[in-house]
Amino acid sequence: MNSSDIAFIVDDDPIHQFGMKVLLKKVKFSNEVLVFHNGQEALDALIRLMDKGKKLPSIIFLDLNMPIKDGWGFLDDFVKIPHQNREKVVVYVVSSSINPSDQEKAKNYEVVSDYIIKPIDENQLTKVLEEMGLINSL
Amino acid sequence: MNTEKSLFHHTSIPFAVIDQEKSFVDFSKQWLNTFGLDASIIGQNFFDSMPELPEELKLDINYCLEGIKHRSDSKRIVQENGNAVWYDWKVSLLNDDQNIAPNALIILEDVTHKRREEHLLEKSQQVARIGGWEIDLIKNTIYWSNMTKEIHEVPREYVPQLETGISFYKEGYSRDTITQLVNEGIELGNKWDTELQIVTAKGNILWVRAIGEPEMLNGKCVRIVGTFQDIDKRKKAQLQLLNTEESLKGTLENSSIGMALVARNGKFMDVNTSLCNSLGYTKDKLLSLTFQDITHPEDLEIDLRLLSELIKGKRSTYQIEKRYFNKDQQLVYVILTVTAARNIDGEISHFISQIVDISSRIKAEKKLKGLLELTTNQNNSLMNFAHIVSHNLRSHAANLTMISEFLTDESLDEDIRKDSLVMLGKASQGLNDTISHLNEVVQVKLETDQKLKSVQLRPLVHKVLVDIQALIEENKVIIDTDVPENIQVRGVMAYLESIILNLVTNAIKYKDLNKKTSLVSIKAVEKDETVVLSVSDNGLGIDLDKFGEKLFGMYKTFHGNEDARGIGLFITKNQIESMGGRITVSSQPGVGTTFEVTLLKNQQS
Repeated sequence: MNSSDIAFIVDDDPIHQFGMKVLLKKVKFSNEVLVFHNGQEALDALIRLMDKGKKLPSIIFLDLNMPIKDGWGFLDDFVKIPHQNREKVVVYVVSSSINPSDQEKAKNYEVVSDYIIKPIDENQLTKVLEEMGLINSL
Repeated sequence: MNTEKSLFHHTSIPFAVIDQEKSFVDFSKQWLNTFGLDASIIGQNFFDSMPELPEELKLDINYCLEGIKHRSDSKRIVQENGNAVWYDWKVSLLNDDQNIAPNALIILEDVTHKRREEHLLEKSQQVARIGGWEIDLIKNTIYWSNMTKEIHEVPREYVPQLETGISFYKEGYSRDTITQLVNEGIELGNKWDTELQIVTAKGNILWVRAIGEPEMLNGKCVRIVGTFQDIDKRKKAQLQLLNTEESLKGTLENSSIGMALVARNGKFMDVNTSLCNSLGYTKDKLLSLTFQDITHPEDLEIDLRLLSELIKGKRSTYQIEKRYFNKDQQLVYVILTVTAARNIDGEISHFISQIVDISSRIKAEKKLKGLLELTTNQNNSLMNFAHIVSHNLRSHAANLTMISEFLTDESLDEDIRKDSLVMLGKASQGLNDTISHLNEVVQVKLETDQKLKSVQLRPLVHKVLVDIQALIEENKVIIDTDVPENIQVRGVMAYLESIILNLVTNAIKYKDLNKKTSLVSIKAVEKDETVVLSVSDNGLGIDLDKFGEKLFGMYKTFHGNEDARGIGLFITKNQIESMGGRITVSSQPGVGTTFEVTLLKNQQS
């Protein structure tokens, strides 16, 4: 675990934002967590980070259904970022949609590691973060 | 020579006188003409001078010279050059003076021509199977020629009786007819020429042509002469043809398929009932028209092109789907099959058209298409609905699950659990809202069949503006209305109110804070059968390239505005469509947005 690792939560639902923060704290992800209400806000933040030469987030929890720019719109723009800048960024789609066509579509994006159906629980989150070495297993 | 003798020489009878030595003693001019001789034959030998003659004539001459008084005969001889010649002759003994050996008078006629005609007549009667008959009413006898007997299939030696002649006619129509004709012939002298059936002696039934001509003397019939012809073959062929023609006509007339005989110029020559029914015209009216008159102009070109190919012989038939106009100028859809009919010289005399009316099929197809469209629309709504249920309800459910787990998780801080309680309230409120939105949507769908009523737009717009006066003032928006007083639409009052409210509040909600004044304009204009209600603003505008297709979807918001529920336009659209209308939008980010609602105009009687 590196203290410079940050996590993005991209979701317009305040309840989900609250829940994610609670869970991340509970699994002892002690690094910075940034919350964005839609895909555009998140992209703007990424561009700002790159402009300042800062490290991009290690993990992005991405909702699909959002105003202004939804999860798909975010992914479409995200893959246009030069590869060397984003190769260490892992994207997890976290959506309440159980529509198989959404899961199928998400698989087509190489940058998407997995599709998690809401509600995400403590065990799932732990497993994801452990695999990435972002938290230490006990 | 004396005058008497000279006259004698000038008769038209070819005669010659020869002596015991068979030398010419005298002859008529006609003799010389007939046999191509001249007067120098006098004293010459008869047989040396004459062309080849039948042996029988030579014998007869010898007989007479030997003392037989008179010989006559008629014979045919085929001469060396192949010509067949018929001779009729009379040879007489000229015995003026008992002491002198007698001379012979020979009358010799070339009757080849006459005989040939007789022969041909007989032959032709045989070939034509024409027999003769004669009834002598004075002697009460009847005569049948051989051919007449042959037709009746009786032997040559058969002797007909007056009564039996009629009894050969077939019982019923034929016998009744001939009986009447013969009676009228005898009483009134009327001729007859008729075609009837006889039953021959062998029991065969034949068609005959019977002609009879009575001969009257002092108003009384003395004789009837007639002919009798076997016309069975022709008559049967004729009847068969008639039959074929009639059955063809019957087929044409009674066919459920429209049929027409069409002249080369397109004029209807004959049409059947079925076609008249399809087109709504009477037969007489249709016969005064051409197919060009009633063909849909878009279909005429191909029809004429194919027809000309038919005329040029490039094809023998063609089939197309085309449209006619019926009497009431309504479209009639048909499948047309055209075949060329040719006359005896092989030239196209007219066309035979078969016309299958498929209007009802086309109508059904159109109805089916309409149904399909409706189903597709409903299906889309259902998909949308399914999506709402799966996504929106699920997201609340997911939140509730997550939050309730926090509440029972004792390892969490007290603060977090307190916040969780607040979140639980929000989550259940969200679930509630979603369910009531869904209810609104379902409501619209359920009420689509509700009867549409006449609604005045102007007072309705006014009412909405009064209701939201506070909102208008708070946002300092200038509202401009141009809704003529008498504009009426067909719709549901509650829907129309909700639609206007939604569009106007949207326009206010998404005003552009960078602009000095915010304007909203509400207009209504009549357009054909519809009324177009438009709501325009100079607000933020929407990027339609990005969001156009999602604009009217449920739970779609585009501005991140606090109040955006993403439900208004979805319901608005549903309400408009349930009243048979439609909604369109035009917008430019930073300039403004215009929604146009097309509604059905109320038709005033």
